[in-house]
Amino acid sequence: MASCWWRWRWRRACSWRPAARSPGPNSAGRAALSAPRAAAAAATVAVARAQMSYCNIMKSLTSAFQNMYGVSRFHHTTPVACCCSKMQSGEKYTDPFKLGWRDLKGLYEDIRKELFISTAELKEMSEYYFDGKGKAFRPIIVVLMARACNIHHNNSRNVQASQRAIALIAEMIHTASLVHDDVIDDASSRRGKHTVNKIWGEKKAVLAGDLILSAASIALARIGNTTVISILTQVIEDLVRGEFLQLGSKENETERFAHYLEKTFKKTASLIANSCKAVSVLGCPDPAVHEIAYQYGKNVGIAFQLIDDILDFTSCSDQMGKPTSADLKLGLATGPVLFACQQFPEMNAMIMRRFSSPGDVDRARQYVLQSDGVQQTTYLAQRYCHEAVREISKLRPSPERDALIQLSEIVLTRDK
Amino acid sequence: MSLRQLLSRLPRCLGASGPLRGPLDTISSVISWRGQSSRSPAQWNQVVSEAEKIVGYPTSFMSLRCLLSDELSNIAMQVRKLVGTQHPLLTTARGLVHDSQNNLQLRGLVVLLISKAAGPNSMNASCQNYDMVSGIYSCQRSLAEITELIHTALLVHRGIVNLNELQSSDGPLKDMQFGNKIAILSGDFLLANACNGLALLQNTKVVELLASALMDLVQGVYYENSTLAKENRITDDIGISTWKEQTFLSHGALLAKSCQAAMELAKHDAEVQDMAFQYGKHMAMSHKINSDLQPFIKEKTSDSLTFNLNSAPVVLHQEFLGRDLWIKQIREAQEKGRLDYAKLRETIKAGKGVTSAIDLCCYHGNKALEALESFPPSEARTALENIVFAVMRFS
Repeated sequence: MASCWWRWRWRRACSWRPAARSPGPNSAGRAALSAPRAAAAAATVAVARAQMSYCNIMKSLTSAFQNMYGVSRFHHTTPVACCCSKMQSGEKYTDPFKLGWRDLKGLYEDIRKELFISTAELKEMSEYYFDGKGKAFRPIIVVLMARACNIHHNNSRNVQASQRAIALIAEMIHTASLVHDDVIDDASSRRGKHTVNKIWGEKKAVLAGDLILSAASIALARIGNTTVISILTQVIEDLVRGEFLQLGSKENETERFAHYLEKTFKKTASLIANSCKAVSVLGCPDPAVHEIAYQYGKNVGIAFQLIDDILDFTSCSDQMGKPTSADLKLGLATGPVLFACQQFPEMNAMIMRRFSSPGDVDRARQYVLQSDGVQQTTYLAQRYCHEAVREISKLRPSPERDALIQLSEIVLTRDK
Repeated sequence: MSLRQLLSRLPRCLGASGPLRGPLDTISSVISWRGQSSRSPAQWNQVVSEAEKIVGYPTSFMSLRCLLSDELSNIAMQVRKLVGTQHPLLTTARGLVHDSQNNLQLRGLVVLLISKAAGPNSMNASCQNYDMVSGIYSCQRSLAEITELIHTALLVHRGIVNLNELQSSDGPLKDMQFGNKIAILSGDFLLANACNGLALLQNTKVVELLASALMDLVQGVYYENSTLAKENRITDDIGISTWKEQTFLSHGALLAKSCQAAMELAKHDAEVQDMAFQYGKHMAMSHKINSDLQPFIKEKTSDSLTFNLNSAPVVLHQEFLGRDLWIKQIREAQEKGRLDYAKLRETIKAGKGVTSAIDLCCYHGNKALEALESFPPSEARTALENIVFAVMRFS
């Protein structure tokens, strides 16, 4: 499935399809209270209209969220404006990316140092995506989480070198998996340029991915913390298992959704959740804080992927005038499709044959756009974000904690 | 269904001919074989099966265990879909299961043997709580398995096909794409298992060692790919010293660093670790040269048997002759644009390449034996020596 970090830009005025909401064009930090409420309300109606079996799915998902607020309220507990008085320094950052990048200067140079090998072409291939053009979303979350945890623990305003190393390692593991995914999906372009496999061929691309992974492992070992090693090697296993989950399909509709969420966790959220947990382990001895960090990362990660899956249907028709439907073409039934199938059971056959018959992709897309699949997926993503915010709000207030809260909103409101 | 039953079914599924053979079936009685001059595979089998008895169990299929018993990945099922296609993964899978030369799991076996040969570190009491079976700590056994996992993972990743180089004789594109997909995922799965295993060892130095061995191996495989000569292409001009560096990366690094890591797990000091490293490195080099020499040593070889133009005897031959003469010889051996391997083989045998490759093999073998001298005499040490002797034997 298309991973869209690179397409995400921070814009003060985000535009969005009517189905999902956007914040107002002003202060980026404040959550838009009215807009999501409307969407949530619409989504609630949509839920009520849905069939019984769907309600059962949602019930089981809801029970996973403890202490759910009413659906009409989507807010975080500490608006940025109020936080000024509690901040140590007088500075005010409204952009989480700017805040995070302060610690990430030289990120790509440092990653390239880890890839320093004598084999020139292999080095070039491995460095290809570390060109400084990516948004580095994962490293930003990692360093913000590191600071938030350090401040929570003992008001420390430092980021440890080992925590910063986790940011590098997370980005490297992510990139290694992207390189392999592109070969598996036979992708031709990523982040606006040709993929490694298209330029150098599949054999070398696979080796480049292996090389980045080995470099990440070396860096991980050098941190010298066996707990952290265990946490991050779990990610490597989850990434592979996630791909395997994608190979198989489930017949039963309820199973399909659980299967989809499990795959989403393994392929996207696990890395973010476990990197957050790793920096919290390095910064703070309290297991409750580790769990908060993990839950934040997990919920933001899942939300991110859900929005990504929506964008696969909605973004290009807006901006490029032609749809891509990359996931459908790969035979993948994502959130919007699974929801749409509730309303249009004739999609079942297409899902089972993975949209392989001619015309399947277009028909499926039409069904999705006619249905409320996109709205329902958005609603689901909002609930995950809400949960993330709820968790992270348990930490001591800090600019970084609030930045993390803002980030979860950014996840929801990005467009192509 | 036991693992063994699963494995015995695989060859038929993969379309292999012949029953599953392996060290499980060839445990022979103890005989002294040093006096024998036979260079038959049976001798090598004996060395290996003896060694396996010393370490307590047959080491076959260490890396396949995780592949076959994991329901989620179902790799065996996916590989079966490749039967009838031309994807290299099928050959790799058959090779893994069909143990014809007992070269499988060799790294794991050596790691176990060297662990036993070194024994516990009498000076350091911190390992007293580890459990030990047949003189080997369970963490060292785990390390042996991890070594095999890494080796197999890259074996599988070597079998990826470049899609834009496919010809119509290779079959449908989608078969190759599917094969690539399964090969990548299987290799990644093995690597993920290796990483998890490493994490469980709770020793960051060992993780660093094996991760750097993986990095070396990847570079080594990259060089192998680059120097794979196509039929009509002249090989690159690499001298023997470059060849040695590249072969260390592709064959020596993993075993050398694993042996060192095994010592680290038992908390042996730097000197012991270095001796283990040297044994692993030189033994692996000598083993590689031995296998490179096989096409030139065997008396009866079919005319169609090809050999790697980047193998030790050929590289040495080229170095003696000089580049121009070598290119001339290749041209002379080409008929209608296709290389006549039988003719080229005779040309090489007539030169100095083969004999100097044999010398090089013995050089590394002797360095390996030297490294072993610092270990106390034991059954395990003898088995390690025997492995080297078997590899150095050409007459």
